[in-house]
Formats: sequence, structure tokens, C-alpha cells
Amino acid sequence: MDNNVSRRQFLGTIAAAGAGTAAAATVASAQSHPPGWSGTQRVEKIATTCEMCFWRCGVLASVADGKVIRLEGNPDHPLTKGRLCARGNAGTRLLYDPDRLKYPLLRTGKRGDGQFKRISWNEALDFLASKLKALAAEHGPESVAFFPHGLSARFFSTLMKAYGTPNSAEPSFAQCRGPREVGYTLTFGRELGSPEPLDLEESKLIVLIGSHLGENVFTSQITAFATALSRGAKVIAVDPRFSIAASKADWWLPIRPGTDIALLLAWMHVLIGEDLCDKEYIARYAQGFKELEAHVREFTPEWAAAITELPAAQIRETARAMGTAKPAVLVHPGRHVTWYGDDTQRARAMAILTALLGSWGRKGGIFLPTPIPRGAFELPDFPESPRGRADGAGTRFPLASEELGVTNGLVDATVTAQPYPIKAWIVYGQNVLESIPEPQKTRKAIEALDLMVVVDVLPVEQINYADLVLPEATYLERYDSPSIVTTAKQPFVSVRQPACEPLYESKPGWWIAREMARRMGLEAWFPWHTPEEHLAQIIAPMEISAEELRNRGALAFPGRPYLDDQASDAESPVRTGSGKIELYSQELKDLGADPLPRYTPVEDPPAGYFRLIYGRSPVHSFARTQNNEALNALMPDNEVWLSTRSAKDLGLRDGERVTLENTDGVKSLPVRVKVTEGIRRDCVYLVHGFGQGSKGLHLAFRRGASDNALMTHVKVDPLMGGTGMRGTFVRPVKDPTAH
Amino acid sequence: MARYAMVTDLRKCVACQACTVACNAEWDVPAGYARTRVRTTPITGTFPHLASSIYVAQCNQCDRPPCVEACPSGATSQHDNGIVGVDKSLCIGCGFCLEACPYDARYINPATKKVDKCDFCVSRLERGAEPACVITCTAHAKYFGDLEDRQSDVFKMVYAHGARRLETSTIRVGPNVYYAGEHASTDLVLAAFPPRPPRLLAAGQAWSRVLRPLVLAAAGATFLGQAVAFFNQLRNGEKDFED
Repeated sequence: MDNNVSRRQFLGTIAAAGAGTAAAATVASAQSHPPGWSGTQRVEKIATTCEMCFWRCGVLASVADGKVIRLEGNPDHPLTKGRLCARGNAGTRLLYDPDRLKYPLLRTGKRGDGQFKRISWNEALDFLASKLKALAAEHGPESVAFFPHGLSARFFSTLMKAYGTPNSAEPSFAQCRGPREVGYTLTFGRELGSPEPLDLEESKLIVLIGSHLGENVFTSQITAFATALSRGAKVIAVDPRFSIAASKADWWLPIRPGTDIALLLAWMHVLIGEDLCDKEYIARYAQGFKELEAHVREFTPEWAAAITELPAAQIRETARAMGTAKPAVLVHPGRHVTWYGDDTQRARAMAILTALLGSWGRKGGIFLPTPIPRGAFELPDFPESPRGRADGAGTRFPLASEELGVTNGLVDATVTAQPYPIKAWIVYGQNVLESIPEPQKTRKAIEALDLMVVVDVLPVEQINYADLVLPEATYLERYDSPSIVTTAKQPFVSVRQPACEPLYESKPGWWIAREMARRMGLEAWFPWHTPEEHLAQIIAPMEISAEELRNRGALAFPGRPYLDDQASDAESPVRTGSGKIELYSQELKDLGADPLPRYTPVEDPPAGYFRLIYGRSPVHSFARTQNNEALNALMPDNEVWLSTRSAKDLGLRDGERVTLENTDGVKSLPVRVKVTEGIRRDCVYLVHGFGQGSKGLHLAFRRGASDNALMTHVKVDPLMGGTGMRGTFVRPVKDPTAH
Repeated sequence: MARYAMVTDLRKCVACQACTVACNAEWDVPAGYARTRVRTTPITGTFPHLASSIYVAQCNQCDRPPCVEACPSGATSQHDNGIVGVDKSLCIGCGFCLEACPYDARYINPATKKVDKCDFCVSRLERGAEPACVITCTAHAKYFGDLEDRQSDVFKMVYAHGARRLETSTIRVGPNVYYAGEHASTDLVLAAFPPRPPRLLAAGQAWSRVLRPLVLAAAGATFLGQAVAFFNQLRNGEKDFED
């Protein structure tokens, strides 16, 4: 026996032995320690910001001996108030994932083979700087396209702008919330932003159109949703699948996919026809009501019933429920809304419905952001590109965001060399093969490049195509730009700061960007030396203490979330050109588009095929967490939902393995069938993010089926470039390799 | 004495599994195992008239715990506050308690070869913190407290709002984990995840009479050894106080 037994250990043994002898003893005290101690270790708690998804929840990292031993929610965080989802709780498994990228890597084999040699950061950054200089000299800086994602990429974004390329695009626009931001901006003059300013907890009626809250988890949104449910809020869930949200709903509307606009128009027809709108609100804030009234006159519930395959009576009943509950009705705007290529028009219809109910800027509806003063450094102007953007934002896609860009526009430009050749990609925190549809096109684009650089934490499949791979530190090991959230009822600023030193040779994004700037003579855009200095400047006008911010992780400011709070402001809360909520959009009319939303039929699946719909699991984020040991254990692969009747027709049993084959003959990896009554006959459902192709991800490699790999054709929204990703048709084929 | 209980509000729970991951992190549960798990019940009914519910499973800290009876070594015991504890130093990993548990709430940790299960985070309670699952619950669907405290949330949910326990007409061991929500929801849970009859092995019971004194004797020996070490240390002076 070890001689060095501590007093506490000894006493613990006594207590434990006591518990054994006397069955009724109170709890053993062996594990109790003074605050700040766990076991025999001194524990420090660091407040920081989660990045297991993009919601930016507050976490407290418990650190002992330089190791993060536990993550918990930060009770001081104004938005998430101590709550943390499954992924947030599993963050240490990302930090200590043995598969992490550890060193800078330079490709040695053929592109796609994944053959690399380890190099030093000096070699890596010198290599990249010389390549970028050569590309600028030969093809112009615009020939370099940048694919960022997340807070840490913002420093590198500054670098790329200073370098002189306007070509930057994130999937958060054209593969996600772009149509929504455009549709709501056309209507209210302001986008929604992220986190969405949804007053769920005060809502009396929540309308979910394809939003599967519960399976899709953003911590504070779930808290608010559950609070509303416990207060007796009603729920209308429009979804071809019986989601968790549908199981809690008062009305489940299993709509025929692609017909949501018809339903929305019929709802408007009932609200206007039965005089259930908020007329006072409309008179005060909106314009174009007369045109809308005339437009929806023909769109009766009976008309919509034939299209949506929902009973007319149910359409009427749900519209009346909204009319009764107004203005505390939340028509949830959704988040990933790039479905059918006319998504801006669907978002418009949802915005108009919100306006008819008087819910925008009102309690229980969509609340307004409250600005916070933000400090900035005085930077030189970024060089202007004479050739403009290559992704079509502002030109081919007139309403696309020039801030977020159009990823698929950059892919197209790379493949066609139009409007000019793209020679290099820098992919920073994005997974271009899993997030951008038509991956066959993405691969073709990559093959045409002179240079492909990936900055990431994990060896996702795309690194195999990279010439240079840079290992980034995880969110628990680095500073990022502070996060300023105005779209919370109490706006706040929060910090991401390291809980421990970066492992291996991984480096934080701010360091990588600064080192590159130094090598490229672009230091003028980085007039700070440490992240602390950067933070101090950003928060300078906020009248808060940096120390307090870093101790508490986040600090809130008073909010003015409702129209009534902002009634006496000089500037109208409605920021359209007319200063009114534009039910009728002259801007769309001028672009040759429908000024009022119109239902256009979508293509039906050919005989024998099903529409592929997809969604999320509460334990996974995108394709980013499938290799996380704790989360992988809960959901190692996905399954394909198939209706009982379709399964019977196909002779498929629950649990049987199939491959999914699309109309181009592209096949998925084998996947289990889940036979259920909970989905319409005409579609199948997969959770996104599985079926990954990187051998370096030992837990995720080839587990489950990838929805994105099957999306070989998308319909692009002509207004903003969004990729309509629900037009893929697949058929399940019995897996010949299955036992 | 307190009578601790947990209530899960099934109206609020969305099956996000934050509780499972938080618990696993708190207690170093190996991947693939869990002290609390979340399951959805199979979807019942005919399209489009469907229903499903959510089951959050954990040790029920039963009033009449079959696991205590089954444990041959005395490792599993019930405290005055109702919590059923496992004294790891006494556990021999025989697994009889796993057979006995009507809720399949226990597992054997492959690393330690000892039984583990939910104990309402008793060590967190001691330092005034709530269980890990409760503080992380994104839906605020889990309530923990003392059923003998009439002001507690759990008292109100159980006695005023009719939260139910998962019992059948034949399996009634007095669970202290309750489920609030529509009766239709809890009925679905009970139909999909009913408690099963405890498997109390006759042989196990016979063994327990032999083993219990043996294990206690072994524990006594350990105690003696530590005592000797302790007094040695007092005499020699302590090198590092590591705690």
C-alpha cells in the first residue's frame, strides 16, 4: 500500500466503510471538496463562448493542471443562462479528439490522395505568402476565393480584403438563411440575423413551417419554446414528417413538400376575408394592403387543399387560431430555408403573414434588435477590385448579400472561369464538400485550382484535396473577435478566450492572420498586437470593464425589443425605402419578379422515387460532430425514414439496410431503414452530416448516408443565389452487401 | 429527513439529450454507456393521426429497491434520504443488481468493473449544487427536490399537478422519478418502456449470505491497512498535501 495516504482519503475510506456496514448511512463524504477543488486538483473556471455550433452559448470551462476537465453552461450568460446542449457538453471531446489536425501539412502525393508531409509554421506561412503574392501578380488578387465560417475566420477575412479579393462566401447565406434575410429585408427593411430575435416564450401561438425545434437545438430557442409550451402556447407544425415539434403540436399539417406558399396564401385569404388581421397595425405601419387583398382573393382554402393535400377545414381552423391569438403569434422564420429555388418568395409570404398578424416588433412575435456601440480600429480602405465579385452577388443574383456572398457562385466561377478565372481557394472552417450541394461540381472546381488551402481543426474529407493544411486551435484554446449580439431581448457582448494552451502545433486564427499580414506587408490592417488589445478597442465605447467581461464571459445591456419601446426614436423601426412594411414589393416588381408571392408548382418525384428531405439531430452540428466520441456514441450513423405504406410496396422491413440512389444514378453508403407512420408517402428523410469520406476521422468514416452527396441537381433562387436542396429524388435499393 | 425526487416534464422535454452528455461528462461514463438516457416512444396511430412521447430514463431511487436485496456484497444500499448508492469499494461487479433493476438503470463500467448508476448527483448535492442533468436541461424540463418540502417544485408537480411514476399493477417498487404531462403521454411511455419484473436470482440470494461478510471483512482489512499507513504518515510527517 502506498504510504502517502492523505487525511481526506483516509477519512473517506472510513465513511465509505461505514456506509457499507450501516446500510442507512448518509452519503459518503469522500468526494466533497471545498469550492475550487475537484478531487485533489485545484480547478479554475474560465468563462468563454461555445462553438460546437454557431449559437454562441456561454460556457464555463473547468481547468485543472492546464487540462479542460468539464464544460458547463455559464449561469451569467444573458442568453443561455447556464444551459448547454448535448454538443456543448461534449466540447472537451473535440479538444482531445486524437484525430485532430496537429501540424501544418504540405501535400506530397496527387491531389485527392491525402499524402502529406509535416512542415513548420514558418515554412507553411512563407509558402502561402509567396503563392498569394505570385497569384496576385499573375492573375490579380480576385483570383483567390475565400470560404470562411465562424468567428475565428473574421481575422483572416480582414486579411483577404486587405489582400484585395472581394470573393468571400459562407454557406450561411446561399445554403441556409439567405432567402429569409432577403425576404424579411424586402418586407421590413431589416434582416432577422442570428440568433433570431424570436419572442417564443411570450408567444401564444407558434407556427413552425419546416422548423423542427427539438431535433434542431439552439439552446436558448429550446428554453423559450419549452417555456411557451408550459405556459399553454399552441403550436401549428407544418412538416411532411412527424417531428418532435409535431408531436407537441396542437395541429400537425403534413403538407405536400414544396407547396408551403399555397398554404401561406390561403391563410392570408382567410385572415383578410374574415377580417382577422391587425388592421390598426397595418394602417399605421404597412403599405400595399389593397394589392394584397386583391391578390389573395382567389387563393381559397379549397384551392390550397388541392395543392397541399391538407384539408380545407384545417387550413381555415389554423388561420382562425392565428387571428385569435394575434399579435402574440410567432411565425417562425426558419433558418435553413434554401429548399426549392423560390425560397425568397416563401420567406416574403411568411413576412407578410407576420405583418398581417401585427407580430413584427410585438410581444410574442419577432422583436427588434437593440444596437450596442461597437469600437473599431482606424484601418486603411480596403483596395477596390476593378473586376468586381465573381460569385454574382449584386449582379447575377441581385439581392444576394455582399457580406456573406454566394458559395455556389464561386464554385460556378471556378468551373467556368467566368466572369474571370479563380485560381485558388482558401477554405477556413467550412466543409465545402458537405455543405455546398452538387459536390461533383465542387470537386471539379477544386481539380481546376492552382492552390487549395484548408484551415481546420479536424481532417475532414476536403483536406485530401488541399495543397496546404493549417491546423487551427479549437474554440477552447483561442481568443476570437468578441461576439456582439443585438438580436437578444437584452443585447450583449461576449468573449471567447482560451481555457488552455493550444495542443500540438495548432494555432489560433488571430495569430495565423497576423503572421500572414506580416509576411505580405499588410500589417496596416492589423494595428494591434495581442487579442486583449483588440478586445479593448472593440468594447471601448461600451463603458464596461474588460476584466469584468472576461471574468463573467458576457455582459448585457438594457434592451428595447418592441415597437412601443422605439416609438419615439427619430429613425423609423421599419427600414424599407418607403419607411413602411412593404406587403407589396415595388423593389421585386422592378427586378421583374413577383411583387406579391405566388405559388409555382415544384417538380414531382418520378415514379418509383421519393423526395429526399433532411434535417438535424440534437446531438450533431452539420458534419462537424460525427467524430466526437461522446456524440458519436449517441448517434453513430443516420437512418432513412420511410412510410409504412411505401415500405410495404417496396418489400422493405424496419432496420433493413439499403442504399439510396438518385435520378443521376449516384448512390449513398448503406443506411438502415426506419419504417414509420410518421412521414408522408412521397418523401424519405435523413439527418444531415453522415456518410463522411475522410479516413482520418476514425469514428465518422463511412458511417451512415450523406444527403449532400445525393444532391447532384439544385434549383438556384434567381434573386439571391440560394441552392434549393429539396429537389433531389432517390429510391431505396436493398443493399447487396447487407447480411 | 429529506425524500429526494426528480420530475421530468414531458410537455417541455424535446429529447435533446443534453442531460445524457452532461451526466456522462460529470461522471466520466465511458462512451456507449449512460446513467441517464433519453428515448422517444415509437410513433403510434395511423397517418396523419399520430402520437409519440419521450422517456428520460435513470435510476428511480425506489422506496423498495430490488437492487439492494440482490446485492451480495452490501455495495448497494439505500440512504435515509431515499437515494440508493453504490459503494464502489465494496462492489464486486457481479451484476446481480442489473438483473434485479426493473428499469435497467445500471451498467458495469468496463474500465473499473464496478457497477454505476444515477445517484441524483449526491456529491453535487452535498456542495449545494443541483444534479448535472437538471442544471443543463435546455428545456428546463427537469426538476429536483425534496418531496417532504411542501414549497419545492417537485412537491407541487407530484401532489398538485399529478406527475406520475412509472409503475404497473404488478411492478410497484416505489420509484422516486416522476413524469409530468398529459396522461396520454405518460401512458405511451409506460406502454413502450414498462418496468419489468426484477430478476432476483435464487443463487444470488444464497451467495449474498456468504459473500456479504467476506466483502466486509475485506473492507475491514483495507481499513486496517489505511489506518496503519495513516499513522505511519503522522509519525513521518506528510510530504505533500495533495488535496
